[in-house]
Amino acid sequence: MQPIIQAEHVSFSYGEQAILKDINLTINPGEIIGLIGKNGAGKTTLLNLLLGVRAKKSGHLTLFDQVPGGPLAKRNIGSMLQGDLPIRGITVVELLTMAATHYPTALQPKQLMADLALTELAQRQLTTLSGGQLRRVTFALALIGNPKLLFLDEPTVGMDTNAQQAFWARVKALKELGKTVIITSHYLPEIEQVADRILLLQDGRFIFQGTLAELQQQYQQVEISFQTSLALTTFEALGGVTAVSQVNQVVQITSTDGDRTLQALVPYLSQLRQVTINRESLATIFVHLTKEA
Amino acid sequence: MKPFLAQLKFDGRRLILRNFSFQFFSILMPAGFYLLFTKVMVSGTVPVSFSLQYMASMIVYSGTINALFGIALILMHDREKGLLQWYQLTPLGVQPYYLSVGFWSMVMNGIAIVVLGMLAVVVNHVSLTLGQWLAVAGVALIGQIPTLLMGVAISFLNRPETLSIVSNLITFPMAIVSGLWWPMSMLPSWLQPIGKLMPTYFVNNWLGAVATHATLKTTNIIGVSAWIGVLLVLVILETRQLLKRGDGVVKA
Repeated sequence: MQPIIQAEHVSFSYGEQAILKDINLTINPGEIIGLIGKNGAGKTTLLNLLLGVRAKKSGHLTLFDQVPGGPLAKRNIGSMLQGDLPIRGITVVELLTMAATHYPTALQPKQLMADLALTELAQRQLTTLSGGQLRRVTFALALIGNPKLLFLDEPTVGMDTNAQQAFWARVKALKELGKTVIITSHYLPEIEQVADRILLLQDGRFIFQGTLAELQQQYQQVEISFQTSLALTTFEALGGVTAVSQVNQVVQITSTDGDRTLQALVPYLSQLRQVTINRESLATIFVHLTKEA
Repeated sequence: MKPFLAQLKFDGRRLILRNFSFQFFSILMPAGFYLLFTKVMVSGTVPVSFSLQYMASMIVYSGTINALFGIALILMHDREKGLLQWYQLTPLGVQPYYLSVGFWSMVMNGIAIVVLGMLAVVVNHVSLTLGQWLAVAGVALIGQIPTLLMGVAISFLNRPETLSIVSNLITFPMAIVSGLWWPMSMLPSWLQPIGKLMPTYFVNNWLGAVATHATLKTTNIIGVSAWIGVLLVLVILETRQLLKRGDGVVKA
């Protein structure tokens, strides 16, 4: 399978300040990628390199086997960036109709509006739309060129819960159609929900590239709590346990290897009550990792 | 061709048909001034040469308002709101957008010429040959280039509030000192040499000469050309600076 994006030893700097260092990356068709990182980690610069707005300083970077920003790459890319285009004196349908003429294989604006439940907003001026409605129009604008690769930057900001759910359902449907999606968001539960692979950027380097399961396997701490009459010392030596504490009658074990610790707890199960296991979310892992780095 | 026509349709709606600021400040206000100073606030019959010269002045004033308030704000707005960036990322790029905005800014000036010309004919009974009208239109369109470049130059300012202040500080003083509102002879003597360096002064004189059959002065053509040259260099330098600074690129 021909990768859509291929980066080998890519770096970028502003003068003496290195922003991206030795980026290696392969993204295949049909993948949903969550690109995450703290502010200043290099996400903006990486996105700019991929969109062809800026040029790399060294290394090898291709999109659709072409230099980013080339005609073929532009034809195949749709982007939903942070600006929402509240253009004065223009309606939703007029914006999408104009936008469609900029792409050789564009979708029909009316059909796209129907698919995205925007038909009732079609004749509304952009400046009269709410933030969430504008975001949905920006999504339509990203899709109008029928792109193979979609960049979504903080896509659901301002959307209500229903709109968010519809939005993510649509993103999953795009994956079924073989589209590749790169999502940048600070709202990690959304990334957790849809991303096939997570790219964690820290200080200009990827400190993790892989699936959420791999990330959890590698970094996740598990908290197991229960009530018991057994002494705390019973649990301190169990495999993977890093801390044991007791609040009132509830014992809480923190483990860096949940599977191992649970296996070690099996002999004591008859003496444990109200057992709960909490796995850490992507957001919690993100905080741990970016603190460590 | 189809994308460019679609772009023209898109921009025509927002820049002219649904742009109340343009309709009021660039058309109705100069038309109102024209009526006021050639019909309402005058006693007796105004000389035809004054009717023509003041028509020329209001055409230049309309173009100046349009460039420094209308086009400058639209360019800044489109950059700030991400429309320019969106074009940049499409296969066709920004070219259709700039061509379309350039085309409509000329049409805007054309509308002002038609409206003010009709007023001059209907209200003040001026009479020009077709050739003279075409010459007036041609000079007015060429003469708009310096103020249009000024509009582009100030559109690179960072904030709309700053742009508004700068537009006001340039437009009205420049209109007054270059004799668009009333004759330069009414200005203090120390101010007149400054007024005679303004691009609007050169265009106004050039246009007035064409409309009133007066002798064309090469200084006016040289003055307009010099302003175009200087402002073109300024806009190029600003664009380079903007690209170097990385404004308008994607934020994540």
